[in-house]
Amino acid sequence: MASAAAAASSTGVPSERRGIPAATFVEDVQIYLTQSGLDANSALAFLQERLQQYKIVEMKLLAQQRDIQAKIPDIGKCLDIVAALQAKKNTGEALIADFEVSEGIYSRAWIEDSNSVCLWLGANVMLEYSYEEAEALLKKNLENAKASFEVLTADLLFLRDQVTITQVTIARVYNWDVHQRRMKATPEA
Amino acid sequence: MQQVFLDGYEQKGSGTETEVTWEDQQNINKFGRLNNRFHELEDEIKVAKENNESLEDASNELILSDEDIVRFQIGEVFTHMPREEVESRLEKMKDDSSKKLQKLEEEKESVLAQMADLKRILYGKFKDSINLEED
Repeated sequence: MASAAAAASSTGVPSERRGIPAATFVEDVQIYLTQSGLDANSALAFLQERLQQYKIVEMKLLAQQRDIQAKIPDIGKCLDIVAALQAKKNTGEALIADFEVSEGIYSRAWIEDSNSVCLWLGANVMLEYSYEEAEALLKKNLENAKASFEVLTADLLFLRDQVTITQVTIARVYNWDVHQRRMKATPEA
Repeated sequence: MQQVFLDGYEQKGSGTETEVTWEDQQNINKFGRLNNRFHELEDEIKVAKENNESLEDASNELILSDEDIVRFQIGEVFTHMPREEVESRLEKMKDDSSKKLQKLEEEKESVLAQMADLKRILYGKFKDSINLEED
């Protein structure tokens, strides 16, 4: 009777997500321990280790999420500037901007009508794009960043659930063990 | 992080074996998710409120000043912009910001209501064996 296996698939939860194994929900502690051939202490040790592994992955994903969260407003600012330059283009005037030369020191720039901007692509590479191309590229980057952010958020939600399931299972195995000891300690009437 | 404990995990177990069904587990999971979202929302609301205040301050400064050309920040630079344009941009930004704050507050209310419901259900079944409070 594959009760444990049936339980896992009947819950409709994927058995893993992007490399993160799902925590098997334990329907009955006794059956779980018998089937896995573990005693309570070994089971607890295994579950604790699983919990640690989940925490490590969680730290990593949170860090990635923070990075993307910082990147999104930056891309937004770039889009704002390109939009401002495009708006100024039609008026024939220069865009006057005060910018920071060094901390606390500002200077004034007259940005003439120029049709193009340079975008920093990373790895010491900067390319010149027309306003339209730059806008398209930045918009695509923004969408990609937002999509990655969504995926990471879903990963973290999945992970959080697995952590909760594991913590609850640990408590139940522990309780079961205490219950067993009590039963053995009290002599049958 | 996780605020849920089933009795016996930390120290004194009563040793009673309460049945935990998959439905219970899903409720506990949902509570955990909602709790996390609640804390995220609190942070986001704090940021949104600060943003609102900054925009109010900027608006007030603008009224007090009498310059025709105002230095308005776009990206990392301050562009010279005519006063009227700055006014209308600020109005739009204030509008967007207060709408966003309102949405966040509404979500927070909804999350709290769902958490209260789940507490009722879970405490109902597990009574003292479960702890759903913040430390």
